[in-house]
Amino acid sequence: MRNNTRVAVLALGLVATVTLAGCSAGASSSGDAPSSLVIDTAFTLETGDPGRNYVPTGYMVSKAVYETLLDFAGSDESTPVPGLATFEQNADATVFTFTLDADRVFSDGSPITADDVVFSLERVKGMVESKANFLMSGIEVAKIDDLTVELTTETPSLKLPALMTNPSLAILNSEVVIANGGTTDDTDAAEEFLNSESAGSGPYVIDSLDFASQVVLTENSEYNGDEEIDFGRVVIRSVSESATQKLNLEGGDSNVAVDLSGDQVADLSDDVTVTSGPSAQTIFLLLNQNPEISEFTSNPDFVDAVRYALDYDGLLELAGAGSEQATGVIPPSFLGALTDGVEQDLDASATALAASGYDGETITLEYPNDYPVGGVSFTPLAERIQSQLDAAGITLELAPAPFTTQIDEYVNGREAFSIWFWGPDYADSANFLPFAAGDKVGLRAGWTAEMSPETVALSAAAANATSVDEREAAFAAFAQGLQDSGPFVPLIVPGSNIATASSITGVSYNSTWTMDIAELRAK
Amino acid sequence: MASSTTVPRRYSARSPLVGYLLRRLGTSILLLIGVTVVTFALTNLVPGNPVAAALGEGAASNPATVAAYVEKYGLDQPLPLQYLTYVGNLFQGDMGTSLHTRQPVADDLLKAVPATVEVALGAIIVSLAVGTALGSLAAYRRGKITDQVVRVVSLIGLSIPTFWLALTSFYIFFLQLRIAPGSGRLSPIYTPPPTVTGLYTVDALLAGQWDIFFDAMAHLMLPVFVLSLFTIGLLTRFVRTSVLEVLDADYVRAGRAKGLSGSRVLFGYVLRGASLPILTIVGLAFGSLLSGTVLVEAVFAWPGLGTYAYESATSLDLPGIMGVGLVVGVIYLGINFIVDMLYGVLDPRVRLA
Repeated sequence: MRNNTRVAVLALGLVATVTLAGCSAGASSSGDAPSSLVIDTAFTLETGDPGRNYVPTGYMVSKAVYETLLDFAGSDESTPVPGLATFEQNADATVFTFTLDADRVFSDGSPITADDVVFSLERVKGMVESKANFLMSGIEVAKIDDLTVELTTETPSLKLPALMTNPSLAILNSEVVIANGGTTDDTDAAEEFLNSESAGSGPYVIDSLDFASQVVLTENSEYNGDEEIDFGRVVIRSVSESATQKLNLEGGDSNVAVDLSGDQVADLSDDVTVTSGPSAQTIFLLLNQNPEISEFTSNPDFVDAVRYALDYDGLLELAGAGSEQATGVIPPSFLGALTDGVEQDLDASATALAASGYDGETITLEYPNDYPVGGVSFTPLAERIQSQLDAAGITLELAPAPFTTQIDEYVNGREAFSIWFWGPDYADSANFLPFAAGDKVGLRAGWTAEMSPETVALSAAAANATSVDEREAAFAAFAQGLQDSGPFVPLIVPGSNIATASSITGVSYNSTWTMDIAELRAK
Repeated sequence: MASSTTVPRRYSARSPLVGYLLRRLGTSILLLIGVTVVTFALTNLVPGNPVAAALGEGAASNPATVAAYVEKYGLDQPLPLQYLTYVGNLFQGDMGTSLHTRQPVADDLLKAVPATVEVALGAIIVSLAVGTALGSLAAYRRGKITDQVVRVVSLIGLSIPTFWLALTSFYIFFLQLRIAPGSGRLSPIYTPPPTVTGLYTVDALLAGQWDIFFDAMAHLMLPVFVLSLFTIGLLTRFVRTSVLEVLDADYVRAGRAKGLSGSRVLFGYVLRGASLPILTIVGLAFGSLLSGTVLVEAVFAWPGLGTYAYESATSLDLPGIMGVGLVVGVIYLGINFIVDMLYGVLDPRVRLA
């Protein structure tokens, strides 16, 4: 009897617990204006230190907590606008003078001065082990007065203003950071402090940061910038599975889903808004020009045969909403991007193939099979390429492998024929010059400077241009030169799809920090 | 006649139990060292460059950054030296720094393991209760319709792909029926309770935060349900078989003949007699739950050991992979040890042997 009573009490307790737990599970409607903002994204977060960060989620967090000298307005990445400072440059584009706003303050209320700018930029330059270190390569920093800083480069550098928008080059409160181990050389030890505290002037401060699960931001009460803050609390959650992001958003558990594929956004309910557009990533085919790697892919006629055999519209079907055909190595939103891409021309392909001497040999196509880019998985893409090239008389064997295995072969130029992608580190077309012969990506395709002095010259002209018009023409010529004779076949610029509850507005995509959280508004 | 001298029972250094424990401990340490050797060798055999994988394209092209990174993590040392350094540090409690998260591996694991333990504990408790009940029921109703239904249900539990079940149940119970919360361990409005055990339910109770306790319980429901379905299927079949083997045993018939109640016979005679194989399978299932929850953790955005293992593996994070290997090794060794001890508790013949 006593046993039965005990069992009954236990059972009742369990039922009560589960019931109460279930009651607490009530999801709010996605149409209600939320008091706090919940963002789901597949985490790429390694540090809270902006100077050491070089991954997307980290950029999103840094953008909310810190500010940079310059900024971009909304999704327009063509022209930097003032951030913490305005700037002027000399005619040679080698000297850039930044003047800070006089009244701006950090989250502890102390004013932002030139000393903070010099320290922050010198710190990134000095931290050799930082992934962002290369952003400051070739740039000298000097204080002119309390509100003026001068950056100089040896060669013309019209990309420098765009560089100064990168959240890795955020301006930190030097006094606070130095007090917590910050230096301007490789002995810097402020990362641990910056993983839990804020030393910036952005609209938000870090409340808590857990690299595995979530980052919580709260409003910076001292913020005196231009943004009007609608959300006092922002939770950025690690949700690696995009299907879960979609369900969380539709069920009202989150307000923003960052990583939905084109197919998933096409299937969303009506009370969800999607901001779609081409991202800044370019997916391309690489054909190695080193005859020792492959006698076929190194043949320019074979490259042309592949280029004209592909049905680019057919490939684009795999990419979904917001995607576009890659018109060249420079994606559509960047200066110098080509208007039209290559069109399928099976006659031209057949002629080129006959001229190449190819006689049905099997070529291996390598690609990373665990690293979708902008929702585009490379396995179905490779299968479709295989099918299209087979119809044009080129036999492929697919060789997928994990990203970590493939990337070593790729960066060392050992892949004959492969699918890869390239995205910018900052919003400037100079990011795509490494595709030139003899440069970083060119060499990955075994394409040395001696093989194509023309594209080397085009690259140099684009890099050294000193006016915007001159730059645009030079970058367009560079892109066209690669399109005509380069060892790359640009395929797809995948879409960026940011889905939000209908109660949220103000989303704009940025190729570096994905979106500026402070620009989001509650209806 | 016999002068009875009572010898106090102590576990001296010569006691068989202490000797057994010491032998088990020594074997366990050897096994763990073996785990580190195998994990280290396998990870280094995988083609790929951890530096390129960790730094990404931009930074991997900067020789100064690569050199600093390689030096910082000792990747320029010969592999045997890297291994010896790792093991040496391990004995001092240092599991190294993750190449992926840049945090101490021990810190990462201290967060990931409790998250998985919490959901695995829930799953094994539910599985044990339901699996034992269903298995016993099927055995008692052998050959009848109840038995057939239970066997089909258990087969379904074993057959359903976990990833599919996780997504489907999340869709139905969260999005359609609205009786389950969204993903994660807590709703976004809550801050995790002060860490004592790392189990949110327990820590919330210890802190007297009832709202967080109920929220954490709610978030456990679906992952526990999904994980337990397979284990319920497994246990049901084992319990049924084990119970069938003892139902006709003399001591069970004797119990019935004494007029004991059905529940007394079931719990005191039948299940106790059938408990050894059940205990073995429970131990294995619990180990499997702790180390094999990658897909469920992915769907429910559960920051546990499975997620950490997956991310470490896909980023060639050697210290992370080694850390996971060690933890999983310790888990299995620990569970086997506990199961062995419980054998002795449940069956005196084992103790004597």
